[in-house]
Amino acid sequence: MIAVVGLLIGVLAGIFLEPSVPDALQPYLPIAVVAALDAVFGGLRAYLDGIFDDKVFVVSFVSNVLIAGLIVYLGDQLGVGGQLSTGVIVVLGIRIFSNVAAIRRHVFHA
Amino acid sequence: MTAPPTSAGPGAPRHYDDLLTQVLSSALDQDYLAASRRADSRPRTSARTPTFVVVVALFGILIGVSALQTVRDRPAQEAQRASLVDEIHRRQAHLNGLHQLLTSLQADVTREQADVAASLAEGTKLAARLTTLGVAAGTVPVTGPGVDVTVDNAANSGEDPAGVIRDSDLQLLVDGLWQSGAEAVAVNGQRLTSLSSIRYAGRAITVNYQSLTPPYVIAAIGDPDTLPAALMGTAAGSAWQSLKSNFGIRFDVETAAKLSLPAAPHDHLIYARERGSN
Repeated sequence: MIAVVGLLIGVLAGIFLEPSVPDALQPYLPIAVVAALDAVFGGLRAYLDGIFDDKVFVVSFVSNVLIAGLIVYLGDQLGVGGQLSTGVIVVLGIRIFSNVAAIRRHVFHA
Repeated sequence: MTAPPTSAGPGAPRHYDDLLTQVLSSALDQDYLAASRRADSRPRTSARTPTFVVVVALFGILIGVSALQTVRDRPAQEAQRASLVDEIHRRQAHLNGLHQLLTSLQADVTREQADVAASLAEGTKLAARLTTLGVAAGTVPVTGPGVDVTVDNAANSGEDPAGVIRDSDLQLLVDGLWQSGAEAVAVNGQRLTSLSSIRYAGRAITVNYQSLTPPYVIAAIGDPDTLPAALMGTAAGSAWQSLKSNFGIRFDVETAAKLSLPAAPHDHLIYARERGSN
């Protein structure tokens, strides 16, 4: 419950306060969102598995976002930013899919 | 799909999965399992720490900001795209215009080339005509067979003025040559044209305003077989024969296989115009 409230507060704050993202960080925003989604679905699945842990969630969230951004930044500096973003998105996408599949099994028992 | 352990246990041979299987099997952070094993000893707390709420709120902000940005960037991107499309259309129209210009210019070039070819043909024809006319008019050098008529004052012309060749004698001789069928005549290298005169100026005979000194060599192009006999048959021929026999004036007629006559010095008319032109 408190998680849903926090999420809502965050979304509303993001939309209405319009925090300005520095231009240098703007290209990494989509990657950060995908990485955060991965951490969130991982946490949700752990919660449904009954093994959720605050600390692990926080650490996985922050490190996911930072590492994803870092990889893409490194790729940009090496001139393969587009390809590396694609790689990161593919890996995170597969993880999200399998986590969501597990969540689905928990919710619908199917 | 639960995450199977990648190793069966300590001491067992390690089992390597391919990359895709690894990605799929590690979809759930192993830390959750490790933490749950550690936490089994102590009672689980359902209360959420403030950090958790902050991170969830951060996630919300991320979602909100990127959604906002996507929505806000769309009009700019579409405008950019539309301007690019406009640009493409404009350039294509420009290119089409250039293609049409190219086609019309190529047609022009073809037409001009035909014109040039026509004028070249006309120019060649005109040049040929000019040469034909110039041979007759004396404006171009000519060559051909003919006769050389060499005349000179008598040896005693210093005492006897009758032994000196007069301009009228030369005029008579040249007239006789024309009459005998000569096609081109030159006196001491001075080509005779319709504008040439043979006359006294002071004590010398001038042709084309050039003073000549004896002996005078009159070169005439014509049939070398008939020209000498024809000349003798004219009044000029008989007059010169009498000059030769009576006053000792030299008068030799020799045929030549090849004579070269120069062009007349001036070849343009100032006042005379072709009839029909102004």
